[in-house]
Amino acid sequence: MQTKATVLIIEDEENIADFIATSLKAQEYKAVSTRLGKEGLALAASLCPDLILLDLGLPDLDGMEVIRKVREWSGMPIIVLSARNQEKEKVEALDLGADDYITKPVGSPELMARIRTALRHGAASGQTKAENVFITGGLQLDFGKRAVRVNGEEVHLTQVEYKIVAFLAANAGRVVTYDAIISHVWGPYMDDNNRILRVNMANIRRKLEQNPAEPRYIHTEIGVGYRMAEEE
Amino acid sequence: MEKFRNGNWWREKWEITWKNTLVTTAILAGVTAVAGLYHMLSEGSVNIVMFYTVALIFIPRFTRGYVPGIVAAMVSVGCVNYLFTYPYFCWDFSMKGYPVTFFCMLVIAVAVSAVTSYTKQQSGILASQEKKLMEAEKERMRANLLRAVSHDLRTPLTGIIGASSSYLENEAFLSEDKKRDMVRHIGEDANWLLNMVENLLTVTRIRDDSASVNKSLEPVEEVMAEAVRRFKKRIPEAKVKVSLPDEFIMVPMDAMLIEQVLINLMENAFYHAHSEREMELYAGTEGSSAVFCVKDYGTGIEPDRLKTIFDGEASTGSGEADSYRGMGIGLSICKTIITAHGGTIEARNHGGGAEIRFTLPGE
Repeated sequence: MQTKATVLIIEDEENIADFIATSLKAQEYKAVSTRLGKEGLALAASLCPDLILLDLGLPDLDGMEVIRKVREWSGMPIIVLSARNQEKEKVEALDLGADDYITKPVGSPELMARIRTALRHGAASGQTKAENVFITGGLQLDFGKRAVRVNGEEVHLTQVEYKIVAFLAANAGRVVTYDAIISHVWGPYMDDNNRILRVNMANIRRKLEQNPAEPRYIHTEIGVGYRMAEEE
Repeated sequence: MEKFRNGNWWREKWEITWKNTLVTTAILAGVTAVAGLYHMLSEGSVNIVMFYTVALIFIPRFTRGYVPGIVAAMVSVGCVNYLFTYPYFCWDFSMKGYPVTFFCMLVIAVAVSAVTSYTKQQSGILASQEKKLMEAEKERMRANLLRAVSHDLRTPLTGIIGASSSYLENEAFLSEDKKRDMVRHIGEDANWLLNMVENLLTVTRIRDDSASVNKSLEPVEEVMAEAVRRFKKRIPEAKVKVSLPDEFIMVPMDAMLIEQVLINLMENAFYHAHSEREMELYAGTEGSSAVFCVKDYGTGIEPDRLKTIFDGEASTGSGEADSYRGMGIGLSICKTIITAHGGTIEARNHGGGAEIRFTLPGE
């Protein structure tokens, strides 16, 4: 494991902040927590943490405001932790620049996995990606050759399908919103009807997944977007 | 207040409106025409009085208040006198029995007016009473649900509070195994609570009048896959055979809610069916609707419960071995959600077990 990463927890419920800090310390991270949004912003500037865990319902500031302020000067990974389970909010937080969105309650294994993913992306964003191949389970994506293999067998994807899969793979482990995918693949002037994306996704799944009813590579976040399985 | 209502009442009974005037004039003109025709064909003014009497019965029926009836009575008497009694086209008040005819027609008009306005009033009261009754019924269902929920929430909470306090008090005397056990139980109870709360939260997404939800077009296959994933995450030992529809279907729905319905149905099948074989989840189309089906191969549903299974009545537990908590609420929530989508849900036994299917209307 690399040098201890610092995680800033901005959460007003002490019990929750406590349990997260305890799990983080057990995993050899350094955890700092605060109950207030303003204090969190100050700490983010002074500590330069490797990751921020942010609750949306803070007593002094709206969590969305915290994301906006941090994104003005830093690209540090932000994971939103919220009890509000509304798709609209998830999309808003992700579009503002949050890296991930976790709905409370969450078990500590899942939380740790999401934190590891976000940290890896945070570290990778600085440098260009060394390897040109993405592998998860039996799925293999060669960005250089634009080739996709499932269990060693080459799968033929259309241009658009490849673009979608490659975009998701580049953001593996993170939720990518429908709008983000659409503007990446079809350009910003596409209307917001996401039906065309859904149809393409159905076709991709039929090509890539052994059983589209239980997808292993590309997961759905209902009402929000898609998530490619973490690279192994 | 009282005074105002009296004024209102007075106006209602004695007002003169365009509609009343028109209806009255039309009916009287019609009757006069018929009477004239009859008079040309056969002599005799007795039956002509009968024609006008019929008109007097009908006029209050289609108008409001006393004015049209009384005016019509006067006009009728006038017409009979002027048009249809000898000497024709001239007034003759010296006729024998004339005041009696006049008086009788007036009485008929007032009486019928009174009766019809009373009936109209009564039916208005009846309608508003029915509405009140329906609201009371809704309120009762809500109260029932709340009662059942509070009870169901209390059970796992008791476990959690008991186990955690006993852990803290008796930490020194407990073996490591026992401690782990207690913490594991706390976790299980908490997870069960979470499931319950999520179910309840879904209901809050349905707008109050239970008529509508926020719908967007969603692919059936994604919703099914996601529901199965979440279901298996919660109950890893459950086995489900999923068959997606062959074609790509998109249906307007609140995907979170439909996911919850599918999870509840699968959970119901898992806990209640005692199935030997794995349950099946499949979907297809029927006309323009999408049809979802959860089928198990277990003991089936008692025939007398088929109709009420979605009503949220907790099973009375009369000697039933499986009193798995809270399932009645899960199914009644399914019904609420599907109804709010404009779909239907029904349960039946297919011989080898139970089958619950629901439809969602297409675009």
